[in-house]
Amino acid sequence: MSKEKHMSRRIPFKVAALCGATALALAACGGPSSSEASSDGPIKVGIIADLTGGTGDVGTPYNEGMVDYIEWRNSEGGVEGRMLEADSNDYAYEVPKAEQLYKKYVSDGAAVIQGWGTGDTEALRGKVASDELPFMSGSLAEPLTDPADSPYNFVNVATYSDQMRIALKWIAEDAGGAAEVAVFHNDSPFGTAPVADGEAYIKDKNLDLGYEAYPMPATANFVGLLSQAKSQGAKYIVIQNVSSPAAQVAKDLKAQGLDMKIVCLNWCSDELFITTAGAEAADGTMMITSVSPPVTDKPGNADPAGFLESKGSTLEEKGLHYLQGWYTMHVMAEGIGAAIANGDDPTGPAIREALETMGPIDTGDVMGTPEFSKDSHRGSNSAGVYEVADGVMKTVEENVSP
Amino acid sequence: MATSTGLYHRTYRSELALRHTRAEYARLALMILGLVALPYLVNNYWLGIVNTILIAVVGAVGLNILTGFTGQISLGQGGFLAVGAYSSAIFSSRGGMPVVVSIILAVLLTAVVGAFFGLPALRLKGLYLAIATLASQEIIIFIARRWEWLTEGQGFISVPRLEVGAFKVERLTFEWQWYWILLVVAVISTLAARNLFRTGLGRAFMAVRDQDIAAEAIGVNLTHTKVLAFAVSSGFVGLAGALTAHYTETVTWERFTLEVSVTYLAMILVGGLGSIAGAVYGATFISLLPPLLTEFSDVVKDNLPFIAEQLPAIKNAAFGLIIIVFLIFEPRGLDRIWQRMKDYIRLWPFRY
Amino acid sequence: MSTFINLLIYGLADGAILALAALGFVLIYKATGVINFAQGEFLLIGAYAFYAAFVLLGLPITVAIVFGVIVTTLLALMVERFVLRPLIGENPISVIMVTIGLSLFLKAVVQMFFGTSVRAMPSILPTRSVGILGGSVPLNRLYVIAIAAVVLTAFTLFFRWSRHGIAMRAVADDQQAAMTTGISVRRVFAMAWALAALSALIAGVLLADIAAVDGNIALYGLLVFPVVILGGLDSVPGTIVGGLTIGVLKQMVSGYADPGLAAVIPYVVLVAILMIKPYGLFGEVRIERV
Repeated sequence: MSKEKHMSRRIPFKVAALCGATALALAACGGPSSSEASSDGPIKVGIIADLTGGTGDVGTPYNEGMVDYIEWRNSEGGVEGRMLEADSNDYAYEVPKAEQLYKKYVSDGAAVIQGWGTGDTEALRGKVASDELPFMSGSLAEPLTDPADSPYNFVNVATYSDQMRIALKWIAEDAGGAAEVAVFHNDSPFGTAPVADGEAYIKDKNLDLGYEAYPMPATANFVGLLSQAKSQGAKYIVIQNVSSPAAQVAKDLKAQGLDMKIVCLNWCSDELFITTAGAEAADGTMMITSVSPPVTDKPGNADPAGFLESKGSTLEEKGLHYLQGWYTMHVMAEGIGAAIANGDDPTGPAIREALETMGPIDTGDVMGTPEFSKDSHRGSNSAGVYEVADGVMKTVEENVSP
Repeated sequence: MATSTGLYHRTYRSELALRHTRAEYARLALMILGLVALPYLVNNYWLGIVNTILIAVVGAVGLNILTGFTGQISLGQGGFLAVGAYSSAIFSSRGGMPVVVSIILAVLLTAVVGAFFGLPALRLKGLYLAIATLASQEIIIFIARRWEWLTEGQGFISVPRLEVGAFKVERLTFEWQWYWILLVVAVISTLAARNLFRTGLGRAFMAVRDQDIAAEAIGVNLTHTKVLAFAVSSGFVGLAGALTAHYTETVTWERFTLEVSVTYLAMILVGGLGSIAGAVYGATFISLLPPLLTEFSDVVKDNLPFIAEQLPAIKNAAFGLIIIVFLIFEPRGLDRIWQRMKDYIRLWPFRY
Repeated sequence: MSTFINLLIYGLADGAILALAALGFVLIYKATGVINFAQGEFLLIGAYAFYAAFVLLGLPITVAIVFGVIVTTLLALMVERFVLRPLIGENPISVIMVTIGLSLFLKAVVQMFFGTSVRAMPSILPTRSVGILGGSVPLNRLYVIAIAAVVLTAFTLFFRWSRHGIAMRAVADDQQAAMTTGISVRRVFAMAWALAALSALIAGVLLADIAAVDGNIALYGLLVFPVVILGGLDSVPGTIVGGLTIGVLKQMVSGYADPGLAAVIPYVVLVAILMIKPYGLFGEVRIERV
């Protein structure tokens, strides 16, 4: 019996080995190449958005702003006469889905990609570089600004690390001396991005601040975290997370009657935080963001506000992240326009070249004036500091740099 | 189930063969032809999807060995995929070992980890076992998130492009080259699994599934068998994980969550429990569903813009609904549907 | 000490809600043998149905609650009739998969109608904080504990003393024997699902009030499993003890150790218990016959 089994297993092995050798030989030969983008028709923009996943609450208005910008820009004559075509899909914050969407956009001939989350932006970084596609993302992690590591990634506004530095700088001024800082962050690469850099900044600038980081699990209350912060003696809580969990922290803090000040970094600095936490709990929160909220009525609000009005909506309804999506796409569109104006086809390397050499890009004072260069893909490192008072964001100081 | 008449065997060897009739050989030939022609017929994007299907096939086959053939419910696949992926990535990029060696080591390591987490199966059944495996999933992912050493503090591991000796995967032919590599691995895994159930060990697995107390009475060593089932199954799943690491070139824990475990369970259930072919069908079906829904929603977006906003939610709802409807109408999966189709043709014009 | 009291009360409130959710799960499992992975989504639908009635339609609280009860009970009955009845007798793993598919479907349906943003809902329970033994505890948490206690006691009494409750226990114990005494098993199945939906509604509404109306409510569905193992599947008191324990444990860990650990600790405890007592702390040992 064992002899039979031995023999009947040998043949499949031989066949398999033969197939394997043939297959590998075929693989080494190479195969058909993928299609290239056409140079006459609309310029395709691949958009990877989180609409139903863990960060969907801020991902949805961001995506709306982006898609609406494209519609508006096309109605204003497009980019140097060429139309933009948006292909936007939801990936629910799942990295494999983001990769699939990316491959789809590449094979559909997208010229540029707009991404979202830190995890998937990191995962796609290498591919984007070898596929030579300019990539802007909702992720503002600092490694994305170094052209040596990420040649095709661009970050328009202050990175998470810059925001953290600005937050710490403000805290040091406000405390007027020594203080304890607790950092509550999302339990993911997005959350941990600025943590180490914040600690380094304290050392660099010799600030007298205690610093502890606490990951925020997906729970209904953060009382445990707050009591740990309290035993640390923290007077300031920096939150690197999206609005909903941050608002919960604010609510719990109020319920506990603790004497701590919340400093939100950009993804919880918005109207959603205020409405979710309730005006009472949200009042007094400091917000650090490079995007000027609609209430500050910047000249750049005119275009998106006008567009929304024609659709029966208002900027106040959509909020700050709508503006962020709008102007992020605007910067990319300006880069495409500059490439075409230079006489090049809007291919990846040309757009990248254009973005690096075109100088400061105007966003109507909504997102500052991002400027890129060959050495730095960091558009700007300054952000505004706002305080929530009477249920609205009031400007404290603009254009603060770390 | 209908079988061909006039099928007589004169040697044990012919009885054990995987294919008996001319029709079966013909279908096999068609399938081989189709697989060889596939990369020439589809574009890069779909080829990429086919590649993810091939990896899923390896994982689904592994899970089916455990759940379909040995009857042990497991919700821990995500965790084992993670073990395979992280270990292969670390062995090859940080350990400096050749890729093939690191993949083999990853498979072995995952098998050991799987055997360890399979120990509860010795005392638990049904719901309790499902929950224990759920616990293993959450615990493994927690460790992956928190253990700084794994990713050297970066939060993810970057795996360099596949290179085996002189053979290197190039950018332009990435999907093409990977297709052949993954096809070979998937075929070998499937054949190995099929073969497993022609051996005594495989039959012991099935005995444990059907009536484990009776199996023990006839001499099947329950401990040995159950632990081996977990080990073998986890080995396959670890292989799928290692392949994922090298194919996608990044390893993050976000790829291996509970949703992934659930997706693999869906694959083997929709495909048909207790059937290797079913695992293949199920893996193909479930992996194709999201991209097909995306294509469908693209078409809908252009023609019916007013529901464009709801499309992501509708896609998710469709996914869940398809699984429910499928299982209500054919709880034994795609494999059974295929059997019924074959029976219908074989028996026609008779009903049974 | 004040921290401890704080954490304890918050943990008990969380645990009370967990116990309610787990109760529904146990009801279904004991009566019909189905492992309901969609329990978290029942909470979600209950919460959103209430939200729709209370906030969007502006109905008074009692009417909104009745509305919620109707919606969730209808949903549960439809699920029992159209999704689970066809699968009676099939492989239990298939049934698990169907409930998983159901959970995906229900979550997506809620997203379809309500989007993914958090919804604001005016608080029903008072939110002032009171001082207890040095700790500052919001009143709504205490109310939650009280309400859950009332509901759970009601359920316990129902099972012990009412005819329908006893019928359910009979079916859970031995279906064939129950049928011979004239109990309609089909009706018991339907009742089990309906009661599970009711407890899910109450849990969902309470959770929506103290936390927020958003998708996170569904996460409680997964936490039900450690509770059920801890408490055993056979007794309501066991479920209560299990729920409270897990709730307090999570809160304490988040307060005194790595907060991320709080999410995993229930599972670690679970595995530890299963190693020592495979049928849970309060469960009955099952005797298997070949």
